[in-house]
Amino acid sequence: MSSAFNPVVQREFFGIVRSPKAFATLLALTITFSIAVLMRWPTDATVDLSGIQSIQVFRVFGYGLLAGVVFLVPAFPATSIVNEKNAGTLALLLNSPLSPLSIYLGKLAGVLLFAMLVLLASLPGAAACYAMGGIDLREGLGLFYFVLLLLVFQYATLGMLISSYVQSADAGVRLTYAVLFALFFLTLVPDAFFPGGSGVMGTIAQWARYLSPVPVVMQIMGQGGLGSRGLMESPGNLQFIIVTLVSSLVFAGITIGRLNYRIFDQSRAKGVITDDRGLTARLLRRFLFIVDPQRRKPGIPWYLNPVMVKEFRCRRFGRSQWLFRLVAVCAVVSMVLTFAAATSVTSWGTETIGGLMVILQVVLIVVMTPSLTSGLISGERDGGGWELLRLTPLSSLKIVRGKLLSVLWTLLLVLMATLPGYLVMIYIQPQMWYQVNLVLVCLAWTVVYTLAASAAIGSLFRYTAVATTVTYVVVMTLFLIPLLVWLGRGAPFGFELVQRVLLINPVGAALSVIETPGFENYDLLPDAWYVAGGFSAFMFLVFGLQVWRLTRPV
Amino acid sequence: MTDQTPIIETVDLTKRYDEFTALDSLSISVHSGQILGFIGPNGAGKTTTIRILVGLLKPTSGSARIAGADCLTESRKIKRLVGYMPDDFGKYNNMRVGEYLDFFGAAYGIGRRQRVVRIDEVLEIAGATYMKDLFVDALSRGMQQRVAIARTLMHDPQVMILDEPANGLDPQARIDMRSMLLRLADMGKTLIVTSHILPELARVCDIVAMITKGRLRAFGTLDEIMRDIQQRRTFEIQLVDHDQVDRVAGLVENWSREMNHSSEVTGAKTESMVRFTTELNDREITPLLTHLVGSGEAIAQFREVPTDLEDAFLSVAGQSHDDDQAKEQITSEQAASEQAAS
Repeated sequence: MSSAFNPVVQREFFGIVRSPKAFATLLALTITFSIAVLMRWPTDATVDLSGIQSIQVFRVFGYGLLAGVVFLVPAFPATSIVNEKNAGTLALLLNSPLSPLSIYLGKLAGVLLFAMLVLLASLPGAAACYAMGGIDLREGLGLFYFVLLLLVFQYATLGMLISSYVQSADAGVRLTYAVLFALFFLTLVPDAFFPGGSGVMGTIAQWARYLSPVPVVMQIMGQGGLGSRGLMESPGNLQFIIVTLVSSLVFAGITIGRLNYRIFDQSRAKGVITDDRGLTARLLRRFLFIVDPQRRKPGIPWYLNPVMVKEFRCRRFGRSQWLFRLVAVCAVVSMVLTFAAATSVTSWGTETIGGLMVILQVVLIVVMTPSLTSGLISGERDGGGWELLRLTPLSSLKIVRGKLLSVLWTLLLVLMATLPGYLVMIYIQPQMWYQVNLVLVCLAWTVVYTLAASAAIGSLFRYTAVATTVTYVVVMTLFLIPLLVWLGRGAPFGFELVQRVLLINPVGAALSVIETPGFENYDLLPDAWYVAGGFSAFMFLVFGLQVWRLTRPV
Repeated sequence: MTDQTPIIETVDLTKRYDEFTALDSLSISVHSGQILGFIGPNGAGKTTTIRILVGLLKPTSGSARIAGADCLTESRKIKRLVGYMPDDFGKYNNMRVGEYLDFFGAAYGIGRRQRVVRIDEVLEIAGATYMKDLFVDALSRGMQQRVAIARTLMHDPQVMILDEPANGLDPQARIDMRSMLLRLADMGKTLIVTSHILPELARVCDIVAMITKGRLRAFGTLDEIMRDIQQRRTFEIQLVDHDQVDRVAGLVENWSREMNHSSEVTGAKTESMVRFTTELNDREITPLLTHLVGSGEAIAQFREVPTDLEDAFLSVAGQSHDDDQAKEQITSEQAASEQAAS
């Protein structure tokens, strides 16, 4: 290796490639792409002159690859700087003659090179799609890979920016996935309310939409943009490229600016106890916080599980004061959505609004649950608390119950916060009372289902960052695969297959019950509940066995 | 003050991981109110022993009992009897010291009101009352050790097992830790303490167990161990002038030769000091001083360097290393001769 070569690139790239999770990633992707192409490869000798079959294959392959990039690439940059900082090697690097720019570029190049490997692994699949004909090399395949490259660049710079702010690797992973989820889906919501792009709000909504790759990718796949409005529809390829590049450069600039000794200068605030403050401050804080984290807390009462109380008090994400704020926001959003439907601000009917509410709730559940749950056991093992828990007379059953309840209460709180929206919906259309009931049952099952999967998968790993990443990937896959298959309803996937795949999780049933456009024809109840129940029971069993295994002497 | 029945007793305690033997037939007993210093290099088997005693590990064979309760089969009893402070603090984020202790108190089933009183008591014992409102994750190492002691005391255990309590502490914190351990012993607690900082242990321990490569090499009071160890004594001769050093060193060497004893003699001119090690006893060494003074040398001091725990440990560790090597050699020779015979 020549001396002119940035040593950080070498270390980062080989460091990533040598890790078992990188190997597993590449292997899983290669197998997935091969299966995706093979599944849709023509079996008869008929030539399809229209190219529809090859486009169908390309769609499955393309969305799979997009999901792969979104799920897998950010895990590496999200832990890149924080791991280095916590291990003490960042201080060594900053003390070396390498400039912050060299260090940053070295780390970024390592991640990008790995992402290139992921994309290279997909090339045989892409070549197979192209060989079938009907796909334009420049406007189809070429543009798609260019969009993916831009996304990789944006996610890598964003992950590294977040990694430079957080204090632990799992917080980096959690926050990066949450922000990506927001960039991917939530950026599309404002445009849905202010269509047409007129006025300041309309312009902002339209530019926010360019942050999401979904419209551009859908356009490349020949499906029109999301929320398509006929001829007026413009996916805004150029704007997407500009927004992605500019945002990536901003992320990179901020991160490089943070690569100096001040990054270590974060002393822990002692936090003045509220009880020791003046009356005005106490009243103000009570109003602002509801559950004030700085208040001197009374002892844990006998009727509460101590592990549950401990989780509420010490977890990094989802502490009471933030939960109450989140619940308040959920309540307001659900009310506004329903009110918008009632007052015809949009052209959507109550069913569409109901579907949107279900999706928003599911997004909230899918984003929050792995964060809260994946580190229940691995967090304890990481921080040395597990050994101490094992020394107490607490049974493994009590530990399991306390840990699960701490998440379950949180999620139920969030779920209940959206009830006002449903109440308004019932008020507008009283005949929807029964449907809303079924939807709420489906959502409750979604909570249990996600909780069980996250707890079981997270408990299998020793380190919280790995547990969080794998849990996110698995949970998102469980929820996105049925939606991807649903997107291909009619062609390439038949009604029967879509109906079966929608049973994988209870969300499809919730959307079909509330008659969301596109879901109204599927009959998923009560089978979806049985599947969710069986799956959750199995996952809880895995979680319980793992906790029991970890608490007994070996 | 100790009674006759041991409160901690291990009999032929063995732990194997496949081919590797982490602990080999360890038999020790500790009486109530004693402080046992558990000494050994890294990987010697100290933590393995401790983890078996607190019920976190299952022995391959042998048994361990604390206050009559079997460490493997009566783990619930053991959890009440023992307070274990691992080397790793086990911090929880965003928790204040008071809340942290409250959680562990609740986990041990202590009632809410009793817990409030107990938290103040244990913080007082650990000298950590002022830390009650501080965040656990913001504490320094020394503060963490005090809080860890307080946490270990929460359920008022009979036996306390402390893994490297002086690790990473500054000199003042070490002195404080030492007095805290003595205070706990005064309270009637039986303590097992591991440490790499041997002078610290020597000052507080009633008995010492030395372990290397999973085997117990020495066990007893420090005096007993010193007596058992066949060791050489070190003497220092403090001279008036550094010019004397070479001359006196030569005189000591010649005298030793005449007495038919081997001595290792070294001179330190900067200190005006001659040091020598010998196996001679007090009666045999006295003529040397007469000889030096008779040779016209001005001697400021003639003293024996006291042997401490560190020397004893090095001696035991060295002896065990030699024993192991000898055993290995015998085994390989036996194998070679068997091979030749076949």
